[in-house]
Amino acid sequence: MPMTDDRRFYVARSLPDALAALVDGGQAAVPLAGATWIMRAPIRQERQDLSYVAISRIDELRNVEILDHEIRIGACVTHAELATSLAFLPECRAIGQAAGGSANPAVRQVATIGGNLCASKFAAADLVPALMCLQAELDLETPRGPERISLEQFLQVRTSMEPGWLLRRVVVTRAACRSVHVRLPLRKAGDYPVAIVSMAAVLSTSGLVTSARVVVGSVEPAARRWKRLEADLTGCTLDAASAAEKAEKYSEDFRGRDGIEAPGWYRVKVLTSLVRRAVQAIQQES
Amino acid sequence: MSLHLNINGDDRLSVKDPLTPLVDVLRDEFFLTGAKVVCREGFCGACTVLLDGRPVMSCLIPVGLADGCTVRTVESLASVGALSPLQQAMEQHDAVQCGMCFPGMMISLTHFLEHTPNPNRDQLKSALTGNICRCTGYERIIDAALSLAAERSSGVQRDDHGKS
Repeated sequence: MPMTDDRRFYVARSLPDALAALVDGGQAAVPLAGATWIMRAPIRQERQDLSYVAISRIDELRNVEILDHEIRIGACVTHAELATSLAFLPECRAIGQAAGGSANPAVRQVATIGGNLCASKFAAADLVPALMCLQAELDLETPRGPERISLEQFLQVRTSMEPGWLLRRVVVTRAACRSVHVRLPLRKAGDYPVAIVSMAAVLSTSGLVTSARVVVGSVEPAARRWKRLEADLTGCTLDAASAAEKAEKYSEDFRGRDGIEAPGWYRVKVLTSLVRRAVQAIQQES
Repeated sequence: MSLHLNINGDDRLSVKDPLTPLVDVLRDEFFLTGAKVVCREGFCGACTVLLDGRPVMSCLIPVGLADGCTVRTVESLASVGALSPLQQAMEQHDAVQCGMCFPGMMISLTHFLEHTPNPNRDQLKSALTGNICRCTGYERIIDAALSLAAERSSGVQRDDHGKS
């Protein structure tokens, strides 16, 4: 028997209400925030028999809290809201750039941070590498209770979690680091980026890199850290040419995915230039 | 399940499946055909409307999420017999083209100019990154928007007939 409209689409009024609806719906129920990814499911030829629990009207999921030690971002905060909220925080520059430069203005008004992190088939999600380079953690609500995990860990488990979970918020610890988000779309007009490099670095007073995190997005099916490059940048003076040479040396660490925007080899090839640009941008940060 | 929307100032009731794209409700149920269905992917911007004052791609909005919201389409920009100042500027710069992308451009620019009263050319181009034109006529559209912004910043008001 086909689902009724009311079963396929439920607007949750509170977090407990949403969780109850998701548990009740089991494997066939998924949260729906901005809907920009889900509405394109027919184009991707994905299953269309799911039921959706709309969570975008839950007030506590729409807040950005900027505290002294951390920033808490509700799962339904849109890209546009995020870019505006974090514009004055230099340590979050990578997130602001990712949120303010992704897709196009109208999509940014609707697409949410939670949707960006939970759309497991969206390889070109901008916020994933940006948040990962700043070591973001996620607060989940699960049938067993609240749980906090790193974004890096979440990417490993997000497709295998038991039904009834919900991403509540993203937590970013405030630290004295410089960060940048560099992307290469084929045009400026809202294309998916061919490749993304998000970088965060802590510099000593003498200019040495004391810690570095480099995350590559859109090249492989999911974003991941470039650990050999991170290790080789640490302890050195930040230099764009040298960083690009190292990126070239370690480019074999990635196997690019073939896609409509670019073949896999090209995605890997451009990483060297993106790393150079990222380092130059970090050097220019005051 | 019935859905309540205020569209261009009128209270409307939709009986469509809540997962129906808003653009299809506007066009097929309420016969507001200004917003165009083109890519259905949020890339082209031909379906741009204002939802509670924000420009959105109506192909990506399930109408269930618009329940209780205000929707403003390109049909609302002109009052009876009079184009909006932006539309007048477009006409004066001969920027009106085939009509496929144009409604979305008007909606995006209407919102942008309300929030950015004194934009430069680059800001206008950024504001239009989600509105693709197949006639490649962006420059005159930007010229027209810049002229309107300049008029407004110098205190010039257009009347209902487009005269400054």
